[in-house]
Amino acid sequence: MTDMTMTTAERAAAKRGPDVNGFFLRYGLFLLLVLVMLLFAWLRPSFISAGNINDMLRSTSIAALMFLGLTWIIAAGEIDVSFMSVAALANMVVAGLVVSGNGWAVACLAGLLVGVVFGLANGVLVAIFRLPALVITIATGGLAGSIAAAIGLGTSISLSSTGFVGSLLHINLGVLPLLTVIVAFLYGLAWFVQERLTFGHYLYALEQNRAAVIEAGVPANRLLLILYGLSGVVSALAGILLTADLSSGQPYIGTSYFIDGLTAVLLGGMALKFGKPNVIGTVTAVLLLAALLSGAALLGWTDAQRQIVRGVLLLCGVAVVVWARRKTRAHI
Amino acid sequence: MTALKSSPLALRLTAFLVLLGLIATVFQSFAPAYLSENNLHALLRHMSVNGLTAIGLTFVIVVRHFDLSFPGVASLGAMTLGWMLANDFTLMQSVAGGIAIGLVAGLINGNVISYLRLPDIVTTIATGGVAVGLSYFYSNGTSISENFFMSGILDLNDSRFLSLDMPVVILLAAAIVAFIVLHCTRFGRAFYATGENRRSAAFSGIRVRAYVLTAFGLCGALACLAITLLVASSGAANVTAGNQLMMPAFAAVYLGAALFGAPSIPATLGGTLLMSAMLNGFTLLAIPYYYSDAIVSTVLIAAIGIFDPKLTTLLGGLFSRQPAR
Repeated sequence: MTDMTMTTAERAAAKRGPDVNGFFLRYGLFLLLVLVMLLFAWLRPSFISAGNINDMLRSTSIAALMFLGLTWIIAAGEIDVSFMSVAALANMVVAGLVVSGNGWAVACLAGLLVGVVFGLANGVLVAIFRLPALVITIATGGLAGSIAAAIGLGTSISLSSTGFVGSLLHINLGVLPLLTVIVAFLYGLAWFVQERLTFGHYLYALEQNRAAVIEAGVPANRLLLILYGLSGVVSALAGILLTADLSSGQPYIGTSYFIDGLTAVLLGGMALKFGKPNVIGTVTAVLLLAALLSGAALLGWTDAQRQIVRGVLLLCGVAVVVWARRKTRAHI
Repeated sequence: MTALKSSPLALRLTAFLVLLGLIATVFQSFAPAYLSENNLHALLRHMSVNGLTAIGLTFVIVVRHFDLSFPGVASLGAMTLGWMLANDFTLMQSVAGGIAIGLVAGLINGNVISYLRLPDIVTTIATGGVAVGLSYFYSNGTSISENFFMSGILDLNDSRFLSLDMPVVILLAAAIVAFIVLHCTRFGRAFYATGENRRSAAFSGIRVRAYVLTAFGLCGALACLAITLLVASSGAANVTAGNQLMMPAFAAVYLGAALFGAPSIPATLGGTLLMSAMLNGFTLLAIPYYYSDAIVSTVLIAAIGIFDPKLTTLLGGLFSRQPAR
C-alpha cells in the first residue's frame, strides 16, 4: 500500500545514506532503555535498589510472557486485541475456582484451558474461516472480558493464600526472580525458533506476501491457527501468574496491558529488524515500559500522565517503524 | 458478502423485520413491559447514543479503515463539555466545545493516517490512549456535574419535539443528513470509491486522502455528539463515559453490513435498532450490566460468521454434497 510513491531518486538516496541512521534504528531502543534507567537512577537512587529491581523484573516477566504470542501474530501481519481480556478471564477463573474451594492445580488447569479455548476460537475464526481479525478479536475479547466481570459479579475477588503459584513467584536467585529466568529461557527458545528455523522465515514471509506463501505450499492457515492458539495460552499463563502476584482476581486488569502490549511489540519491532516484530525487541521494550512505570511512580507521576507518555511512545514507535520501512525496503 | 449481494433488497428487508419481530416477541413474552410506551421511549433513547457513534464509524468503515480511538475521544469530549459547563460557559458553547474536541481529535487521526500513512489500527489505539490520559486533567479523574441543572443540558435528554424524545430527533436529523451526503451525492459515492479501490479512485480524480481525513473527522465529532447525549441523560461527565460506546458501535455497523450486504447509513441504523432492542430486553429481564458486552460480542461474531460468503458457501457445499453420497 505504501510502496508506490517512492521515486528512483529516493531509492538511490536511501542506498547511499550514511549508516549512522541505520545504527540508531537498530540499537536505538537499547540506548533509550539504558538512558532511561540511568536517568531514573540519577533522579531517584532507590530506583536501582535490589527490591525495586526485583519487583520490576517480576512484573516485566509476566508482561513479557503475555506479549510473546502477540509478537508473532503481529510479525505475521495479523492482529490480536483479545490477549489482555483472555489474561483477565484466566485471572478471574483461577481466583473464582480457588475462592470456591478448589485446589490451585485444578484452578490453574482451568485457567489454561480458557486460554486454549479462546486462542483456538480466534484461530479458527480468523485463520480457517478467514474472517476479519480485528473485529473478531474485538468481539472475542469483549466476550472474555464480560465473562471475567460476570465471574466476580462485577467486582474483584481477593484471595487469602496464593498457593504454589505464589511460592513459585517469590523464589529468587539473588536479585533475579526464578520467573525471570524461566521467561528469559522461553524467549531464548522463541528467538531460536523465529530467527533460526524455517518456521520463523514463514512468519516474516506471511507478513510480506501471504498469497505467495500459500502458493509455495506452506500451510499458512494452520500456522496462523497455531499462532493464535499460542497467544491464548501465554496470555492465560500470564493471567494465572497475575492472580498469585496480586493475590486477587481483577476483572478489569486487561485495560492496562492493552496499550502496553501493542507498544512493546511495535516499539520492539523497531529494534534490530527495522520494523519487524521480534522477541528480543519485545523484551527490551517491555523492560523500557516497566522502567518508565516504576520510575514514574517514584517520581510521583499520575496515571493519566503515564497513559499519555505511553500513547506518545506508541505513536513515535509506529512512526519510526513506518519511516524505517520506507527507507529500507529499497535495499532489502 | 458478494454471495448475498445478488439477492433483492426486499428479501433483506424482510429478514431484518422478521428478526426484529422475533426479538420483540421473545422479550414481550418474558417481560410484558417490553412493548409499553415508556420502554419504547427508553429503547429509542438508548439507541440514539449508539446510533450516532455508529453513523460516524460507518464513514470510517466505508473507506476501509478502522477507528479504535473514538471511546477515548468521547471521554475527552465528555470531560471538556462538563468542565466548560462547570466554568459558566453557555450550553451552546459547551456542546460546541465538546464536539470541536472530537472533530480535532478525528482530524489528527485522519491526517496521521492518510497523509503520514501510519497504520490505522495502532495509530488510533495510541491516540485513544492519549485522549483518555488528557481527559483526566480537567478534574483529576473525578466526575463533573456542577452547574448541570442550571445550564439546561438535561433538557437535551428530557425535552420533546413533535412527541419524539430530543435524542431521537437528533439521531434522526443526523441520520438523514448522513444518508443524503453518503448516498445521494457525488461526495458520498467518493467515500465508497475510496474504500473499494484506493488506487483506481485516485486515478478517477478523487482526492482519496481528503476523504479518509473527512471520515475520521466525522467519526470523532459524532462520537462526541453521542457522548453529549449520554452526559445529558446521566447528569454527570465521567472519564470512563466513552468505554461503553466501542462494542455497540462496531456491532451495529457490522450487523447492519451483514444484514444489508454493505455498510450504509440505513444498514447501520437497522443494526443499532436490533442491538438496542436486544440490550434493552436483557436489561428488562434484570440481567446484570456486565453481560451486555458478552451479548453484543456473541451477536457480532454470529453476524460476521453467518453472513460471510466463504462460510455460507462452505456450508452450502456441505449440504448440496450430502445427497450425492
